[in-house]
Formats: sequence, structure tokens, C-alpha cells
Amino acid sequence: MTDPKQGITEAEAIEQAKQGHEAAFEVLYHLHKRRVYSLCLRMVSNPVQAEDLAQEAFLQLFRKIGTFRGESAFSTWLHRMTVNVVLMQLRKKGLPVVSLEETLESDDEAPRKEFGTKDVKLTGSIDRLQLQRAIDKLPPGYRTVFVLHDVEGFEHNEIAEMVGCSIGNSKSQLHKARLKLRDYLKFMRAEKAKTG
Amino acid sequence: MTCSEVERILPELLDGAAERVFPAEFETHVKSCPACSGLVSDLRLIASESRQLAASEEPSPRVWVRIAAELRAEGLICDPATREPKAAPTRPILISTSPRRRWSAWWLAPVAAALLAAGAYVVSHEPAPQVAKQTAAAPVTVRSSVPETAAVSSDRVTTPAPQRLARKSAKPADRLGPAARPAVEPEPSAEDQQFLSVVSTLAPSMRASYESELQAVNADILETQAYVNRNPGDADARQHLMDAYQQKALLYQIALDRIQ
Repeated sequence: MTDPKQGITEAEAIEQAKQGHEAAFEVLYHLHKRRVYSLCLRMVSNPVQAEDLAQEAFLQLFRKIGTFRGESAFSTWLHRMTVNVVLMQLRKKGLPVVSLEETLESDDEAPRKEFGTKDVKLTGSIDRLQLQRAIDKLPPGYRTVFVLHDVEGFEHNEIAEMVGCSIGNSKSQLHKARLKLRDYLKFMRAEKAKTG
Repeated sequence: MTCSEVERILPELLDGAAERVFPAEFETHVKSCPACSGLVSDLRLIASESRQLAASEEPSPRVWVRIAAELRAEGLICDPATREPKAAPTRPILISTSPRRRWSAWWLAPVAAALLAAGAYVVSHEPAPQVAKQTAAAPVTVRSSVPETAAVSSDRVTTPAPQRLARKSAKPADRLGPAARPAVEPEPSAEDQQFLSVVSTLAPSMRASYESELQAVNADILETQAYVNRNPGDADARQHLMDAYQQKALLYQIALDRIQ
């Protein structure tokens, strides 16, 4: 990966950052800031918190950059570190990282399903803003697994390791998250149609 | 296959389903069942559209400013000339009278003035105790390092404004003159113009980055200032305003260190 504005490759920036060059840190930051911040924002649904978490993730990365040996991709390393920072924050706040079993969950947040008849499809593309809002409405546990899998592309075995659940639980949470999103999106679409 | 069976095996099938071969009976049922067809189609659409959200948001420029400040504070950024860790700027930014930094001292004067203006405004509205401690410290620190002379020139270290502002810090805000509110001007202010003229010597991409960050922090200051004007009793807002000024000062410092 190269920063076209700087004419410096990521590998070069990493080596220079190990020497303490500020410009190199800045290059690495700009190369990855969107991915890191977007991940934090999807997980916590709060821009101010997301910025704090993104800042912490980069700082942890930069503090440890001297130990990076290149065995894995730098972005993978940063990605995982970001997830750990966010999960630690969620745990500190006592928020569930993974949802409890379905029978223990409250369905108060779910919209009434009178608009969500099974044979009505979400035709065409999904409005991105509506999708973002729907994700924000997900319970924290569902949101974590959904964001890590469908948005960020982690596999279930990776998610299970990070959040401390089984692979089966991760798959189950993901499926439930998608079903909830489907209901939210249909509800939003129906509401929008009503108001014109 | 029934609808319930379809829904039971769907999580396994949709996971990495792009290359997965679906069981024939599953395909047969889905083709003939509108409800299951809709369900499968919707869940696939949600999964595919969600991937577009990765890296879709941009953090504010403040994030990098704070990261850079922390890296300096921890000594992780080295001065390329000396290989020594660069010291973090203290709060407020002290003006050094040493010959090496004399060129830069006049540059920092408006920065200190902006910080003191913010501090004066905050103090004059009886901020919360923790804010009062910070703002009370600022005038004393700058007074101790600022020379007496008035004019700003390229070969003398001169900063009268901060001293005058420091004396004024105890006065009510409505008695502060225009000089006490230099940083609340619409952009670009004189200080911003000086900043922009300095960063114009940088590479175009870096210049654009600094200009963008300056614009963002100015917008933050304006917005917060307007809020504080309407809600002078809001201690959090005043603190935020002070933080915004300090971030602007840090931005100046980072740019200055880069070009030295």
C-alpha cells in the first residue's frame, strides 16, 4: 500500500516510524484512519466515543510498532488491535459483547412486524443511511458480531476467539442480527412510504 | 424441505455463501416459496450492502492532532537532526527566548494570545473549579516567559498582547476589548494567515492536510463559541472551547516543528 500523496510505501513508513519519524506516523495514520474509525463507529454508534477509541487504537499500535516484524499484514494487525480496544471498552462499560440466549433477550426494541410480511422483499438496493441507522438500533451483542463479520469481514472462528464465544454462537448471533436488520429496514421503508 | 428447515440451515448456508453449493432440496423449496425466497434474497442483500460500510467514515482532524501530541509526550517522535525525542509542547505553549527558537517565538505569540483569550473568556464566566485551575495557571506561565516589548518583528522576541490579556483575564468578558478576542474572528484571521503562509512551504499534500485541519478546528471554535455565548453557564462547553483553542495551538506547533 502506498500513500500516493507522499510517494512512500507503507513498508517504508513503518520502518521510518520505528525510527520515530513523525511524518511516517502521519502517513500510516492517514492510510488507515477511515477503516479504524468506521469500525469503532459501527461498534459503539457514537462519533465522539469512536474518535476516542480510534485514537487509542492508533496509539497502541504506534507504541508497539517497534515489535512489528511483518509476518502478517500491517492492516490486519491494526484491525485486530482496534477490535480489541473496542471490545475492552464495551467490557469496561459492562455492555454485553455477545448477546445472551434468545430466551433471555427483550424484544422491546424490535418494531412491530405488521409491515414485515415474509413475502415482501427489500427490493433493489438498501439505503445506506437507513442501513447505518438500523445497525445502530441493534442490541450491542448482535451489533458486535454483525459488524465484525458482515462489515469488517472477519471469519466466525476469528470472531469467536476475539469475543470469547463459540463458533456456533457467532453464527447464530449473526443470523439473528441480520433478521433484526431486515425487520428494521422494512419498518423504516414502510414508515417512509407512509409519510411520503 | 419446509420453511422452518430452510430457516434452520440458513445461517450455515449464507456464511461465505458466494462459492457455496446449496443443497438441491433447498434450492427447490426456495424457488417455489415466495416467503423463503424473499428471506434469502434480503439476507444476502444486507450482507453484501453492509460490506460497503467498511472504511466509509472519516474521523475529524482533531484525532491526528491528539495522537501526535501524545506521541510527543511519550517521546516516540524523534527530532531527525538530533535523534532525540521531541518534547511535547507544554500547556500553554511557552515562548522561549533562546536564540535557536527566536525565529519561531514571534510566530507563537498569536497562538499564546489566542489561548489566553480563550482562557480569559472562560475565567470571566466563573468556570468550574478544574477549569479555573487551568485558566488561572495560563496567564502566570506566559507572563513569566514573555518579554516586555510590544512590536512583532523578525529579529526580536516581542509579545505585548499576552501580558495585556493576562492582566485583563480577571475582568468580565463584556469589558474585554477586541484584542482579547482575536481567535473568535471569522477565518482566516491574521494568525491563520501567518500559519497558512508558513505551511505553504510544505509539500502540496501536507499543505492541504494542514489547511483542512485548520479549517476544521476553526469551525469547531466558531460553533462552540457561539454556543458558549448563548449558554455562558455551561462549564463543559467552556472547557470544550478551551480544548479547541489548545488543539489549534498544537496544530501550529506541529506545523512549526515540521518546517524547522
